[in-house]
Amino acid sequence: MPNLKIDRVNKFYGDVHAVKDLSIDVPAGEFVVLVGPSGCGKSTLLRAIAGLEDISGGDIALGERSIVNLAPRDRNIAMVFQSYALYPYLSVYENIAFGLRARKTPGSEIKKQVDWASELLDIGGYLDRFPRELSGGQRQRVAIGRAIVRDADLFLFDEPLSNLDAKLRDGMREEIKLLHSKLGKTFVYVTHDQVEAMTLADRIVLLRDGVIEQVGTPLDLFERPNNTYVASFLGSPSMNFISVEVSGGGTSMTLPDGQTVAFGSSQFSGKLAAGNYLWGVRPEQLSNSASSESTLEATIEVVQPTGARSYASFNIGDAHVVAELDAHAVNTEGQKLTLSISLDRTNFFDPVTQNVVR
Amino acid sequence: MNKWDQGARLWARVFCAVLVALFFAFPIYWLGAISFKTADEIFAYPPVWVPASFDFQHYFSLFKDGAAWSVWNSLVTASISTLIAMFFGTIAAYSLVRYKTGGNHLAIWIISQRMIPPICVVFPVFLLFVAWDIVDTYYGLIILYTAFNLPYVIWMMRGYIQEIPLELEQSALVDGLSRWAVLWKVVMPMVKAGLFATAVFTFIFAWNDFLFALILSRSDVVTFPVKVTGYFGAQSSLWSKVGALSMLGVLPMIFVVGTMQRFIVRGISMGAVKG
Amino acid sequence: MTTSNSFADKLDQERWFKYFLIAPAVFIILLIGLYPFVKLIVVSFQNITMFDDELSYQGFIHYERLFEDDRLWESILHTVIFTIVALPIELFLGFLLALLFLERIPYKQVFVGIILLPTVISPIVAGATWRLMFDQRFGPINQVIAWFAGHEVKLLWNIEPILVWPAIMVAEVWQWTPFMFLILLAALSNVDKEQLEAAQIDGASWWMTFRKIVLPAIMPVMFIALLIRGLDLFRVFDVVWTMTKGGPGTMTETVSIYAYHMAFREFDVSYSAAIAFLIILILTVIVIAALRRMEVSR
Repeated sequence: MPNLKIDRVNKFYGDVHAVKDLSIDVPAGEFVVLVGPSGCGKSTLLRAIAGLEDISGGDIALGERSIVNLAPRDRNIAMVFQSYALYPYLSVYENIAFGLRARKTPGSEIKKQVDWASELLDIGGYLDRFPRELSGGQRQRVAIGRAIVRDADLFLFDEPLSNLDAKLRDGMREEIKLLHSKLGKTFVYVTHDQVEAMTLADRIVLLRDGVIEQVGTPLDLFERPNNTYVASFLGSPSMNFISVEVSGGGTSMTLPDGQTVAFGSSQFSGKLAAGNYLWGVRPEQLSNSASSESTLEATIEVVQPTGARSYASFNIGDAHVVAELDAHAVNTEGQKLTLSISLDRTNFFDPVTQNVVR
Repeated sequence: MNKWDQGARLWARVFCAVLVALFFAFPIYWLGAISFKTADEIFAYPPVWVPASFDFQHYFSLFKDGAAWSVWNSLVTASISTLIAMFFGTIAAYSLVRYKTGGNHLAIWIISQRMIPPICVVFPVFLLFVAWDIVDTYYGLIILYTAFNLPYVIWMMRGYIQEIPLELEQSALVDGLSRWAVLWKVVMPMVKAGLFATAVFTFIFAWNDFLFALILSRSDVVTFPVKVTGYFGAQSSLWSKVGALSMLGVLPMIFVVGTMQRFIVRGISMGAVKG
Repeated sequence: MTTSNSFADKLDQERWFKYFLIAPAVFIILLIGLYPFVKLIVVSFQNITMFDDELSYQGFIHYERLFEDDRLWESILHTVIFTIVALPIELFLGFLLALLFLERIPYKQVFVGIILLPTVISPIVAGATWRLMFDQRFGPINQVIAWFAGHEVKLLWNIEPILVWPAIMVAEVWQWTPFMFLILLAALSNVDKEQLEAAQIDGASWWMTFRKIVLPAIMPVMFIALLIRGLDLFRVFDVVWTMTKGGPGTMTETVSIYAYHMAFREFDVSYSAAIAFLIILILTVIVIAALRRMEVSR
């Protein structure tokens, strides 16, 4: 199975530079997720790989051969669309078999493949129904079935779960991940949902405005973001950013409300030059046990229980901060707490360039 | 598909489009040419493709004969009947859509009226008009065109009104508007495009009608299609007059297509899609 | 402060309002629609001719006469053949045109505008125009044919029996193909692009995509268009009238022309009423059959 190489691809829509000099290497069998807000170029890139859009410059290659000048049908790829794009006047069986019939596959072979795919996706029960009789989740499965039944080199997914409701989405995520491990094929998956990206990807490619912000494993991007954009994109509730002033010796920092937080023995101690920084701390990195060298005082304003955990919001000067605490740790507005900080897990960013400071 | 192919295909398509346009436009051009040719040029063999000059003499003769009045008659009957049909038809359509007045039966009956071939009703209508003494009057033709166009207006506007979300009207009602005000201030502006498209077609139907005008007008309110056929004689036909008068009848249509093309296109497409 | 009756009042108001809205239209339609229709049926049972004003009930004699009237059946045959030939031609050409304009073309609006012209002009003018075009001596058609043939050509399009119907067909197709074109263009444009893309990726050929995806999608619209045009073709009058007036003899007489002839030339009014009724019957049957099929396919 070939690997996918995207080499300095550019795409212009008139004057708009939608994809700017992108290069990505996807080894065979990897599940790579292109994630980013709408307009970031992820769908454009996916469609360019599929051949549904032309690119203005650069190359796309599967294995040894460049596929840039090939029609979609000659690229040996499969695609699952956001709105499933099932053929409404064909039965489920015929929908799945469509690609095989187009390639003049004999009927017996078609039946084998369709049975295999419908078994895998648990849709054997409605092979002779029509798309309009199916629920959203069922239709999604048929769309996936249609894609996997051909032995394609590459599988493209264009926000396939966006049209499903939340509960269904969770279930389908798991199935797609399972599917990937069973098939072992290369999956290129586009989504704007960071949870999907985190849970599904072997590697994430985070895009903004046609440019790659960061590439890496989910944990990489989560724990070691390159800039505030990446940091705030992943994780929910998102990372808190607080303007701080690091002291002369680099041993402590001052928060906007005047509090000082000691660095203690954390890795940052003595490493940061004095000055202003954007301190990025995730809600789960604050806890209410005062058993740390680095602590801060907070007066809780709003409490949002979610079950085992509660989100507690408070202000430090101008900064709005959310902490994720044990449900029983906090229960009233106005409560004053001392929160300990897992300082080593937090990040410091340059307030001007927004880049991380390591 | 590389750039080469795309370019060649585009040019091939443009070429075909030009040929097609020529096919559809040429006869009209020919008609216009005849209206400007001198008698010698018209009856020349081999045919003269382009008239030597833009001689308006045939057009002037139409005005002198009084034949040009037929165009005026067409204009009066078509436009007034269109206005009336649009007004009553649209409010009737609103009643059908929002209140389901008369249920399906009324709607079906109204639509079936459109299917009636003019030839079938032309004689009884003629008798009716004789009884009311409105043969060969503006009233007669206007009432007739209105009655014939109403089903079409109702059918089309029904489709357009159905597309308006109920919530819009409901929120206006909650705001205190009367039903009548809701109809005029909320619904009408939203179906403006539909109104135009339908009005254009209604006008065209009435403008181009022949059979009714033939039977129901004599000399006072003769419309231009009838007048044109009058020029075809058994022996020789007054081609020049045919050409000129036809062009007079066609020019408003050219104007309409030029300015209202969007609506015409939408009107035809919508009519079938909503069928 | 609302009174206890205000709700009932409101309901009454609404009822009054909705009838008020629809009444004028219904009234006008009834006036010109219902009365003639009823009168038509009544007259067909009487015996009104140019000489006679016999208003008594004559039974079904006119309807019986329908069956024996060769000229009537000839005209029906003409009309049916005309419809069956012109309709597919208009559909096919309209379809080709729609395909042509489906993708981007510069000045698309201008082209479409020009193509639209034939449809918006009066059928009388259309017929008149083509009659002039087909004139055997001074019309451009024969001239162009002469160029290809290399010698003078004197095809009597307006008189020669074999040529008359093709001439009328040309005028008719010229005028109404744009109508089909517009409808098909709208229908084709509405086909879900994602399905077409999926088919591309699945590797389907153009023909397979057309047959299995596009055709079923445009079928409902196409059906309506065919129905509307079919009915119009069956009722054709104006264009045939200007080109040949039903001649030579009765060669191009359509059913509408025959009915007109009976009513306004021979003043055999009652008989023409029976003919008219027959026409309405045929059309109604066609429409009902068509609607049935539409319901079924849903």
